[in-house]
This record gives sequence, structure tokens and C-alpha cells, in this order.
Amino acid sequence: MAVAVQYYLLLSAAMFCIGLLGILTRRNALFLLMSVELMLNAANINLVAFSLQYGNLTGQVFSLFVTALAAAEVALGIGILLVLYRNFGDVDITKATTLRW
Amino acid sequence: MAVGSSVLPTPVLQTAPPVGDWVALAPVLLLGLTALVLFVIDSIDPDDASGGGALAGTAAVGTLLALVAAIALLVAGIGQGQGGALRLYGDQLVVDGMALFFTVIFTSVATLVIVASYDYLRDRVYQAEYYVLMLLATTGMALMASAGSLATVFISLELASLPSYALVAFLKDNRGSVEAGIKYFLIGALSSAIFAYGISLVYGATGQLGLEAIARSLSGGTQLVGILGVGVLMVAGGFAFKTASVPFHFWAPEAYEGAPAPVSAFLSSASKAAGFAVAIRVFAVAFSPQAVVASVDWTLAFWLLAAVTMTLGNFAAATQDKVKRMLAYSSVGHAGYVLIGLAALNSGQNGLVLGASMIHLLVYGFMNTGAFLFIALAEYWEVGRTFEDYNGLGTQAPIACVAMSVFMFSLAGLPIGGGFMSKYFILVGAVGTGHFLLAALLLINSALSLYYYSRVVRSLWFEEPADSLDIEGYPFGLYGAVVGAAVVTFLLLPGIFLVSDAAISAASALFV
Repeated sequence: MAVAVQYYLLLSAAMFCIGLLGILTRRNALFLLMSVELMLNAANINLVAFSLQYGNLTGQVFSLFVTALAAAEVALGIGILLVLYRNFGDVDITKATTLRW
Repeated sequence: MAVGSSVLPTPVLQTAPPVGDWVALAPVLLLGLTALVLFVIDSIDPDDASGGGALAGTAAVGTLLALVAAIALLVAGIGQGQGGALRLYGDQLVVDGMALFFTVIFTSVATLVIVASYDYLRDRVYQAEYYVLMLLATTGMALMASAGSLATVFISLELASLPSYALVAFLKDNRGSVEAGIKYFLIGALSSAIFAYGISLVYGATGQLGLEAIARSLSGGTQLVGILGVGVLMVAGGFAFKTASVPFHFWAPEAYEGAPAPVSAFLSSASKAAGFAVAIRVFAVAFSPQAVVASVDWTLAFWLLAAVTMTLGNFAAATQDKVKRMLAYSSVGHAGYVLIGLAALNSGQNGLVLGASMIHLLVYGFMNTGAFLFIALAEYWEVGRTFEDYNGLGTQAPIACVAMSVFMFSLAGLPIGGGFMSKYFILVGAVGTGHFLLAALLLINSALSLYYYSRVVRSLWFEEPADSLDIEGYPFGLYGAVVGAAVVTFLLLPGIFLVSDAAISAASALFV
């Protein structure tokens, strides 16, 4: 028999929390990007699992959109990271402190 | 237009004047098309012999045409009145009064910003990319306002966000700009991940992504209240980022201060309005209060957000030394005022208070854009960033300083610009729906805001200028945009009744 949907939910919640923890603790901007990917893919797991549960394709199609957008986001993020490195000589986001509140 | 009526869509009795899809979506199509034309111009003439004039002119004409198209559709009553909203492509897009009203805001702001950018960007490289990104972001915003399902909401929100990240980091050699860009990007990526996860949970609770389909699915009640509640809160978090409201506001001062001033103007006005457009539609249609409040009382969350956002924004603004940063925090405060419209959705007269929020966003679009463009003018003159650096500017550039004074007093809510009337509408709406505490907070915060707004006016007119103060040139585009924004801000004081009916009936139509 198929795996019950709540286990998928647990898996995706765990992935989401690992990603969130990574964002809160990491300083290297590349790791932050990876953590965001983890969180977006947690959403994808949910979408695909619930799509199976409800028997409609809406969730699966939307998860493809989310994947494509995640790729676009990373492409842009790496571009910004590159100029960050050129200006500050590092990808540690705590080093960029010219603006202060 | 009974507010308490069923959330099921009423059967369409009489269709609006039949128009093709492409006519109803003309503003969006014009914006996207202009972006493509700019690509072509850039590939034909990459060295840009005209100094950016052709690019800026094309971009401005494109946004202006989109603005005219949106106003024409609004006046013609497309998607309004008896026929109800126009639903396109299997309910993925909705064209109604609200979508057109917000499109008017985005295109007006984009036009002002593009006209001003012509002078700001002179002698810089990558101008074509700048205008293309700005037009694509505006396209995304216009799509956000007419999104009819959570899928289109997410995609259009990203279409508006991704170009914005690049625009904030546009000055590649400026450390402040790059730092603002990376912070804006990281917080934006985090919030879009939270938003996507929230959408997946809402999909889990309802099995639908279309806004009206979700409302239909929820009207029968749901067993998965926990999943739905967390999902709704996460979706609200995504909107809080886009509107710079409190839990996700801390990117705003950084991004607005570091970004080139025209981009700050664009983000703090148009991007914020886009966030509110989509938040209003999602929460009024999909999680409509009548269906959901019993199980998931999100209006309470918005009540808290409104109170905290306006108080924190105004107190933080009062302590700033730099004008641009003060304006950034003041824009957080104004997000709090607009949130009152969403917080008051659980009681009757929703159309009035929600319409008041929309009117405030329209007026704010002009007065706040104008204020940031004045900062752009100051950056162009290189007079410095603090209040003291602005001392005595009134003697050198009286016209721009009169305009800035109009913006400041209108933002504070004095009857010199439309800001007075729009705040008055929000106040009436809040009192009318019984939210007296929010109304009182609105008054207190407006009084406080008068302190820091008038500091700017005092610097401009009453302080002695520093000896080194010497401004060179009166850039035509920047001046035109600032003065144009000031004229519209001022005219919206007597002319507010021209737009208030459209806004309130557009807001009421969401609840039919």
C-alpha cells in the first residue's frame, strides 16, 4: 500500500526546518542559497504528495513551476554573490556592514 | 451588494461588454511588450549613441500607454458592475476593478521613476538592463493584481521580485548598493520559500489552488484546521515581506538606503502596493472572512501586524539621521496604516475600509515616489544624506523644495495633499467597523510622524546653508517627475472623490 500522506508531511516539515536552521546559523551566502533550495523543495514534496492524495495534477504542475523559479532565483543570487565577493572580498554576509541601523 | 452573502460566485446574469482577452489584459501586455522592444533596441544599438534617451523614452511611452489603457478599461467598466469580474484562462487571471485600479498605481509610479531615471542614470553603463528589469517588475506587479490562483500569485510575485533584487544591486561598484542587494535577496528568497510552503499546506488542506475554488472548498468546513492555519499564516508572512510589514520589515531600511534612489522610490511605492493588491485578493476571496474566521482568525494576526507595524515604523523613523533611511522607516509605518483595511475585514462595511486602504496606496504611490525622487535629486547634486546636509536647499532649488514640502506634509496627513483625505477615509473605515484602538493608533502615529517629516521641511527652508552647498544643474527629467508627483499629490486633495468611488466599489465587488 502507498505511504500515508502524513509521513510525507513529516518529511517535508523536517526538510523545511533544516533549511530554516541553515539560514539562521550559516554565514556563508552559498550555504544560505542551499538552505533556501531545501525549503523550496520541502514545499515541492508537499505539493506532489497532496497531488497524489487528491488525485488531481494541480500540485504536480505547480511543483514544476516552483522548481523553475528556484533555478531562476539561484541564478540571480549567484550573480549578486559575485558582486558581493568583488566588493567585499568574501562571501561571508556578516562582513558586509557598510549600512547600519 | 450584501456583505454577508455566500462566498459562492454568483451566477453571471449579464455579461460585461464583450472584449477579447487581449483587450482586458492590454496594460500587462503593453508592459511586457515594451520590455521586449527595449531588448531589441539594446541589441541594435548596444553602444547607445543617444545617451539613454531612446531607452528611457521607449520605456516611459510604454508605461504611459499601459497607464492610459488601465484608466480606459477602468472608465469603460470592464470587469466591473453587473457582469462581474472577467475570468481568463480557467480562472488563472481575473480582471476586475481592483486589478485595474492597482495597475493604474503601478504604471503611474513606473512612469515617474523612469522619467527620473533618465537623468540619474546618465553616464552609467547597463542602462538597457535597468529599464528592462524595471518594466518586467512592473509587468509582474500588474499580473499580481489580477492573479486568480495561488499558482499565478506565486509566479507573478517572483516576476516582480527577481528584477527588484537585481535593481537594488544595480550599482555594482557601490558597496552599499551591493550589500543592500544581497540582504534584500536573501530575505526575499527566505520569504518566498515560506510562501511556497504555505501554498503547499493550503493545497494540502483544500486540494485546490484557484482562489475561488479554495473558498468553495472551505465553505463546507475542513478537518485539517491545523494545516490550513499554518498555511494561511505562512502565506501572510510572504505578503508581509512584499509589503515591508513587521515580521519581515528589516530588509526595507537596508534595501531602500543602499539602492539607487529611483529604485527605492519604485520599490517602496509600487512593490508595496503590489504586495497589498495580492494580499487583499487572496485574503478577501480565498480565505474570505465569512468562511474561515471561525476556524482560522487571520484578521487578528493582521490586527496585531497593523498595530505593531505602524508604531515601530514611526518610532524608528523619528530617530534617524539620514533622510533616505527616515523615509524607509516611514514607508514601514504607512504599510501599517494600509494593513488596517485587512484587519477590519471580519466586520461589516468591508468595502469602505478596504477601499480606503486602496485609496491610501494610490496617494502614497505619488507622494512617496516624489519624496524618494527628491532624494534622487539630492544624490544627483551630491549634497549628502543627513538632515543637516539638506540645510538651506530651499534657497538654491525652490521649486523642488516646495514639491518636497508638499510630499512631507501630505505623508504626515496635513491637508496640503491627498494624504489627508486618504488617512481620513481609513480613520472613518476603522471607526465604522468598530476598530477604535487601531483608529487611535493611526492618529497618534500620524501626530508623531509630523515631527520627523517637518524636520525635513525645516532643514530645507529655515536652516542656514553650509558654505560648501553648491548645486550644479537642474536635470529636466528628475525635476519633471518630482514636480509632476507633487502636482498630482496636491490635486488628489480636492480630486479624491474622483478615485474614491472607483476604489470602494472595486473593493466591495470582492465580497459579492
